[in-house]
Amino acid sequence: MAEQAAVFDAVRRGMIPAHIYNDAEIFSLEKERLFGRSWLFVAHESEVPDAGDYVVRRVLEDSFIISRDNDGGVRAMFNMCLHRGMQVCRAEMGNASHFRCPYHGWSYRNDGRIVGLPFHKEAYGGEEGFSRKGQTLLPAPSLGTYNGLIFISLDPDAPPLEEFLGDFKFYLDYYTKQSSSGIELRGPQRWRVKANWKIGAENFAGDMYHTPQTHTSVVEIGLFREPKAEKRKDGNTYWAGNGGGTTYKLPDGNLEERLRYVGYPDEMIERMKETWSPDQQTVIGDNGFMISAASLFPNLSFVHNWPRVEESDDVLPFVSIRQWQPISENETEILSWFAVDKEAPEEFKALSYKAYLMCFGSTGMFEQDDVENWVSLTNTAAGSMARRLQLNSRMGMLFDGSPVVQPLSAEEFAGPGVAHAGYGEYNQRHLLNEWANCLERPVDEAASLAVGAEKPIEEVPR
Amino acid sequence: MSTTHHAIDSAQSPLGRHASTTSRAGKSLPFDDPRHLAAHHWLVEEAYILDHQEYETWLEMLTEDIHYFMPVKVTTALGSGYDTAPGMAHFDENKYSLSRRVARFATEHAWTEDPPSRIRHYVTNVRTFETDAANEIIVDSAVLLFRSRGDVREASLISAGREDLLRRDGDRWQLARRHIAVDESVLRTQNLAIFL
Ligand code: FES
Ligand SMILES: [Fe+2]
Repeated sequence: MAEQAAVFDAVRRGMIPAHIYNDAEIFSLEKERLFGRSWLFVAHESEVPDAGDYVVRRVLEDSFIISRDNDGGVRAMFNMCLHRGMQVCRAEMGNASHFRCPYHGWSYRNDGRIVGLPFHKEAYGGEEGFSRKGQTLLPAPSLGTYNGLIFISLDPDAPPLEEFLGDFKFYLDYYTKQSSSGIELRGPQRWRVKANWKIGAENFAGDMYHTPQTHTSVVEIGLFREPKAEKRKDGNTYWAGNGGGTTYKLPDGNLEERLRYVGYPDEMIERMKETWSPDQQTVIGDNGFMISAASLFPNLSFVHNWPRVEESDDVLPFVSIRQWQPISENETEILSWFAVDKEAPEEFKALSYKAYLMCFGSTGMFEQDDVENWVSLTNTAAGSMARRLQLNSRMGMLFDGSPVVQPLSAEEFAGPGVAHAGYGEYNQRHLLNEWANCLERPVDEAASLAVGAEKPIEEVPR
Repeated sequence: MSTTHHAIDSAQSPLGRHASTTSRAGKSLPFDDPRHLAAHHWLVEEAYILDHQEYETWLEMLTEDIHYFMPVKVTTALGSGYDTAPGMAHFDENKYSLSRRVARFATEHAWTEDPPSRIRHYVTNVRTFETDAANEIIVDSAVLLFRSRGDVREASLISAGREDLLRRDGDRWQLARRHIAVDESVLRTQNLAIFL
């Protein structure tokens, strides 16, 4: 415990005890105190558009069925049969009005309610022995949505989702609300890498510094024109609410010109203007900053880039949403989705998808080099020497704690939160500070539910 | 209709519209048919070229209209009629995007392959079909890719079925379409900085 307190102290000074990237004890603390209560992304409403549609997603070891019930509501249900605990749904996606447990045949409606219980009368004595009424698959303790993004929390007393997101919502809209219809999400590609989950989240939150080095090759082959070191450091990093991200500084122009510069067609630009607030438009149009990568605490990231996808000078923007799903202290499952505005022209959707595949995801040419670094880092953090090393994550901060550059003023950057131009590890520090806050705080014992242990109290008719 | 290994169609992809729609006709050819022998020879040569990461040579073995397509596999209930994620793939490539991938490996800054992986493609279960076009054949094969990186890192395996369309141009065959049916929904390799 004293050892852990020292870890959190170091993190708050901007120092990173290297072993936190590969430490079984830290990971079990993360499971309990961080993933046991944080808001976690599970799916987007566009993945379950019609009644009966479902996808199965995990939160660490817990499997949840995310379904669209017959009344159009979105449900998240623990994927365990109430009888003897069989996994009720073993597909990853599909459409079903009911889920029937393969073990003894209990069946559940797509909103979780029990509908069928074989030999209910003979085996249980009917309602006298087991009351079906009110029995449902265990719902996720908390569920919330924003712009169609579905989040759950294992904490029944989690603060409301919007409160948790806070001012990060302002930035989330650039990725997920480019028109009033919002996005459609495709995928995910899923693959497992031998890297600690925090590294990706930190990288996407604020690591502009790695771009010119790690991603040299994609500039050399003409895929992406921006990451040259000089250009990258003119961008800024911002932190707001529980998330933060990076931006590129665009060449001179107004809102329309700058959105055109990254490849948006005029009809999409018109819808953005109708949808985004004046401040959201000012960030791009007047301040000249275009969102790039971002992370929402703890393990959801976003990316927006605009590569060349054909033999021409035109560029095409894409958005990806990705989750760093922890498997262990040294393994992460990456779930990487492609997101596109629902109202975008079909031609744009096709090319934007192509842009995504060329840059990010399992085959993406940016991502390939990122992951190699993260695997290597995780490997190196496993041993006893890493326990003697505190890495320096203080970029952008002087010894006395004051910033190397002053935060951007409201005139320079109209977005909420705090933003700094140039390279800095402000956001990685924000993320790890929040991590330390979570890990320090014990979680309350969760309430348990005994399935049908007692006779339900009769409702007295009045 | 089969309950698993649902056929892949280029038309599933918005990027597959340019692809050839040639399909197989009849039963697989006898193993001593010259077209089968030519196809098998081609696949084995290709495997060596990919193992040696001679990607520029490989590009020359592909037609200009190639669709190189590997959808994302998903687990679905029996009878669902599909087993790939709608609208999503790992690879969904044309000649241009493949050429960018190859060009990247040729730079000195593709860190993921420096030091390079040691890869070996095990190609087996080859069978060949005629098509309606005299200069086109369809070849099925199974491929197991072994990939080792570094000295002690756990090696990774990727198992897949492939359906290839080979087109004859003069005295050489070229790959005009490849559909890759990967056997895992969640890949156990750090990236696909390889070709199948
Ligand atoms: S465990 Fe599901 S019906 Fe018995
Ligand atoms: Fe990167």
